Amino acid sequence: MNVLGIEGLDAGYGDLQILTDVDMTVGDGEYVTIVGPNGAGKSTAMKSVLGLTTYMGGSVQLNGEDVAGADTNTVVSKGVSYVPQTENLFSTMTVRENLLMGAYSLDEVPEERLRDVLDRFPILEERQMQRAGTMSGGQQQMLAMGSALMVDPDVLLLDEPSAGLAPDLVADMFDKIDEINDAGTAILMVEQNAKEALRRCDRGYVLVNGENAYEGPGTELLEDQEVRERFLGG
Amino acid sequence: MAVADFLITLVTFIAIYSLFGIGLNLKFGFTGLIDFGHVAYFMVGAYVTVVLTLPADAPTYGGIGGFDLPGLFAALGPLGSLFGWVLGVLGGMIAAALVSLAVGVPTLRLREDYLAITALGIATILNTVVKDEDWLFNGPYGISGVHKPLVDVFPISLGSFTVNMAVFGLLSVAIFGYVAYWLVNRFRDAGRTGRILMVASVGLVSVWYFVMPVVDGGGTVELTKNVLWLFDPTAGPNGGLDYDRFVLLLSLGFLAGGYHWVERTINSPYGRVLRAIREDEDVPQALGKETFQYKMQALMFGSALAGAAGALWAVNIGFVSPDQFASTITFFAFTAVIIGGTANNKGVILGTAVFWAIRNGTRFIDVPSQYSIQLAAARLILIGVILMVILYYRPEGLLGEQDYDIDLPTSLRGGSDDV
Amino acid sequence: MVDAGLLDATVQGLITGSIIAGGALGLSLIYNIAEVPNFAHGDMITIGAYLALVFNNPGEIPFLPAFGSAPLVAAAVVGVVLAGVLGATYELTIFRKFRKRDADIITMVIVSLGLALVLRNVVLFLVGSKNIRYQSASVSNTNFDFLVTGGGMTVTTTQRQAGEVVTTGQWGYPWWLLVGGLLVAAAVGYGVYRAYRREEGFDTVYLVPPKILGFTVAAATVIGLGAFVQLAPQGTDPIVATRIGLSIKHLTIIGVVLAAMFVLNVALKTTKLGRAMRATADNMDLAEVRGVDADRVQLLVWVIASMLAALAGVLTGWFATNLTPNMGFTLLLPIFAAVILGGISSPYGAVAGAMIIGVSMDVSVYLLPSHFATYRVAVAFLILIAVLMVKPEGLWGDV
Repeated sequence: MNVLGIEGLDAGYGDLQILTDVDMTVGDGEYVTIVGPNGAGKSTAMKSVLGLTTYMGGSVQLNGEDVAGADTNTVVSKGVSYVPQTENLFSTMTVRENLLMGAYSLDEVPEERLRDVLDRFPILEERQMQRAGTMSGGQQQMLAMGSALMVDPDVLLLDEPSAGLAPDLVADMFDKIDEINDAGTAILMVEQNAKEALRRCDRGYVLVNGENAYEGPGTELLEDQEVRERFLGG
Repeated sequence: MAVADFLITLVTFIAIYSLFGIGLNLKFGFTGLIDFGHVAYFMVGAYVTVVLTLPADAPTYGGIGGFDLPGLFAALGPLGSLFGWVLGVLGGMIAAALVSLAVGVPTLRLREDYLAITALGIATILNTVVKDEDWLFNGPYGISGVHKPLVDVFPISLGSFTVNMAVFGLLSVAIFGYVAYWLVNRFRDAGRTGRILMVASVGLVSVWYFVMPVVDGGGTVELTKNVLWLFDPTAGPNGGLDYDRFVLLLSLGFLAGGYHWVERTINSPYGRVLRAIREDEDVPQALGKETFQYKMQALMFGSALAGAAGALWAVNIGFVSPDQFASTITFFAFTAVIIGGTANNKGVILGTAVFWAIRNGTRFIDVPSQYSIQLAAARLILIGVILMVILYYRPEGLLGEQDYDIDLPTSLRGGSDDV
Repeated sequence: MVDAGLLDATVQGLITGSIIAGGALGLSLIYNIAEVPNFAHGDMITIGAYLALVFNNPGEIPFLPAFGSAPLVAAAVVGVVLAGVLGATYELTIFRKFRKRDADIITMVIVSLGLALVLRNVVLFLVGSKNIRYQSASVSNTNFDFLVTGGGMTVTTTQRQAGEVVTTGQWGYPWWLLVGGLLVAAAVGYGVYRAYRREEGFDTVYLVPPKILGFTVAAATVIGLGAFVQLAPQGTDPIVATRIGLSIKHLTIIGVVLAAMFVLNVALKTTKLGRAMRATADNMDLAEVRGVDADRVQLLVWVIASMLAALAGVLTGWFATNLTPNMGFTLLLPIFAAVILGGISSPYGAVAGAMIIGVSMDVSVYLLPSHFATYRVAVAFLILIAVLMVKPEGLWGDV
């Protein structure tokens, strides 16, 4: 059974429909990327899993359970965790409090997992009591991801994790994501940096104008002539 | 009192408050400035005009002035005193604009909710100053014996009773005819709900105005009085056009002038910038417009209009006192503007009319005087509820935002999200 | 006879500030978390005061049978609870609907204005406009005269009993005790400050800011020493003398408000729900993504804020002796000034802002010629405007 299954999804914002009949799956432990031009609906597809868009038709399933159109705050307990592209932190709260908020949907604070996250992102341990808004861009991204991992999700949704990062930090970011995936968490990632994303992922989807255009293993898409010309700059 | 007289008083109030509301609409509806202190300019306009036109030795007045402008110009001829009064009104408008300039400097750069509160605070401070500083404008006692322009000329009589009745009566009917014509045109343009509303309200008013007087025992005399409303049979020996009716016409004239002036501004490229500022101040700023100056000018213009309304108010009531200018007046104006249609000048007039109809219409409900407080309170509860209901179900007001000659670019009208 | 001076005006200001703080605590919650600049807050205070009145002095209210009266404390508790229910109603019937529509801040302001109109006139409708008071035990005012003499300081307490001014106590502090005591207090305060303060460096966040804790402990030490170590009077020939008037009423009001502030702060900083509230204030969408039921949080915010407003109303009614339908609305401007001054986002900031406003209101009335007494509220405003011109985000931002 797929961790995440999207079938025939129509979605948008208010009266504006962005996605038409979109299909996507993420298997257990898979690393899947969504690439495509601006305005293609990549983020919309991701947000639809969280109930942050207007649901217009089709199905969205998490571990077999239908969550299309569900309330946003109920979705996190069904195995999915999300890191938005912007405003992905509680900037007035401390690093530690952000991590605790990551575990909000759980009955108890998972001390072990907190330990794991701090081990994975040592910079966060140093700055536990620091106000999140005063950290640098790279550190904030670490915290955002760490918070999302506090629920030990089956699938982690990342919306353009490299956006706004200094170039030398981008590789580190992708390495971290590889680490997380190797530890067993499925990844669904929207990325503008298509080359890097397709290189590292297991499978990729190319969305154009709110519809499926291409799909396949990352390496294949990377080699495909049409894909290269249209989206990877030849 | 004939129903006609009541209606004349009511319409005069509506005209004055509409002018006040149009000034507010310019600030709030078109430029997006929440000025909770708007009533301060109403007060400044009223007081300054009164003081400029008060005779120098007015009895019981211990404040600054009586500058007696009408007296000064009376020597120039019969219309000299009127000219003096008009100068007084201009003085009041300029004073209101200058006060708003002083208010705008510290407040216009603040974010909108802080602007609202500081404007309210400043208006409260100004009201306290006027109320407590006796040497300024007579303090809490107010100023009575307000100069009424051309009051000696009235009632105007053209000779005999019959001539008066004929001439003014004909004018009255002509005006009714024009109003009916205008209503029919609007009826044609209106949608289904609009039509139902219009038929209901016009029907109710007509019954109340034309039918009830006959039924109530007044017979055809009362009906005639109502139809020939411009003609007051009791004014002077031969009847004629009395002063109250003149004030009504004066107020309507001011309202028409203010309305026209604002309409022209809104429909010009200048007005377009104001509307752009309302939508998103960053955009015109990025295009190199000094948005602060535009906001300040809108503030001053709107305040000047409020000042003019204040001058009319003083003439209408006959005296001014600080208690007439409490902060709740601003909130009532906001209610009227929102009910009728924010960013719609016709809507302001409609909203003001609705508001006053509710406020004064319920005065007809016969209630023992011991419950008068309850009745007043119930009225305000109703208005509060209507405000919330309208904001929810029809936030653009009854008439919605008006159409403009020059539209904003589509990118500014309602944003679009990143996908 | 010793005259009440600047010190007394300051103490009065602290009490005024406490009353404003009661309102500011609730308003800061609504302003920050629900993002509604709540112009109905003053009238929520009024409603709270009158709710307690219903149970404490029902005879004064028309329409109600006089069913006996409860002591003010019990009536206050019931009133506060009922106010909480009303707060839930406001959220469920009004503000939730507008929030679902993504109403902007201007709309919320005007909606709250509509609610204010309704609340104020409901009170007017049901109760009328006459002055009413609570039935409560009368509390006597004690005057503390502080005389600085050659030998040290003498303190005389007097009260008005049965029409006569009676001296109820007299003691003193020699110079060595005064200086020594102050030094001890300063040392204790500083010690607490150092002990409580963690490593500096990363904008650490405390339950109570260490400087304030140190200062409070020092002040408490001074008062404690002064209360327990009372020696013989040091003569009655004053070099300098001043008087302050205090009563249990004053101390209760200050105490209740400070307690509420502390409890609220602890709840917000240490409980899971408190964190959820702060998270919602910070980033409502992200809070939802992390599992917070934002609707439930907002409901809680309105309930708590209404209860705080009701508490402020009871205290105001008790302090001012009379209740009028306008009592809350007249507090509205100083309360807004306090919240904006202190920074919307913290209970401490709101209370600090309120104290500043309260003290400046009463001290300026004291300093200015008596003619200017009516400008009391205007002073609050002038301060707010002055601060906003220099620092548009308020004095503290985030405490």
